[in-house]
Amino acid sequence: MTDCGCEKAKAELEEYLHNELRGEDASDIQEHLAHCGDCSDEHLVGRTLTEAVQRACRETAPEDLRDQVLLKLRTIQSAH
Amino acid sequence: MALSTVLERPNVFDADELESSVMTTDATDLRDLFEEQALPFIDQLYAAAMRMTRNPSDAQDLVQETFVKAFAAFKQFEQGTNLKAWLYRILTNTFINTYRKKQREPYQGTIDDLEDWQLGGAESTTAMASRSAEAEAIDHLPDSAVKDALQSIPEDFRLAVYFADVEGFSYQEIAEIMKTPIGTVMSRLHRGRRLLRDLLSGYALERGLGTAATGHTQTGSTSA
Repeated sequence: MTDCGCEKAKAELEEYLHNELRGEDASDIQEHLAHCGDCSDEHLVGRTLTEAVQRACRETAPEDLRDQVLLKLRTIQSAH
Repeated sequence: MALSTVLERPNVFDADELESSVMTTDATDLRDLFEEQALPFIDQLYAAAMRMTRNPSDAQDLVQETFVKAFAAFKQFEQGTNLKAWLYRILTNTFINTYRKKQREPYQGTIDDLEDWQLGGAESTTAMASRSAEAEAIDHLPDSAVKDALQSIPEDFRLAVYFADVEGFSYQEIAEIMKTPIGTVMSRLHRGRRLLRDLLSGYALERGLGTAATGHTQTGSTSA
């Protein structure tokens, strides 16, 4: 495990954030983030962005949508 | 966290049961299996449909259509493979083929070719006191602001961001859902997140968040 430096960390931060890096690639970034304030702040912004989007996009389907779907499936089936 | 659920195999039947259910499949068994496995995704699919169509009535129609198509194709679905990704593929296809045509966005189809400067954004972040202030400001924005920002970025970027950040799909899965090369997915994701970040930082600054001194609000600009 080695510190990969800012350039690599910045370039691969998004892949790191989305769990696309494996093994050494991921641990190199991790190592760098632990020691570089600048990059770890950048990582924090990225994570916060993801969390904000997750939070804002929560929805529950309307009650009757499920019933409508079930009804539709039954109708289709009985038509065959 | 959403990631851990993505690759899980549907754990509803053991191998023997599955085999016999396939062998004796009559229409009702198939429907029961479909309802049991696919219907639990209805909230997630509806949430995605809301971000695609931007209104509840179209979102409901889109979800219904998705389930109808998925049911019709369910015999071809290979048990044990990723049902969630399969459903999203049908949802996205249906959206693109029917709803997108109605909605007509400018630049549709060529968005990947536009340069960053043509998409706007990218000027606001410099005004932030620091990156950690920026993170905090984004964290404090209301959901409505985040949704507005998402709606205002180009659709292909929005979908890529949604699939990755909300659903936790891998780049490879997104490539399959959106039928694009993985490099395009990465570029859409990167540019979409960049635009989103700039928009959100901009909103935050307008609201007096993220400036150097907390409590030092801008001169009576925003009320809410």
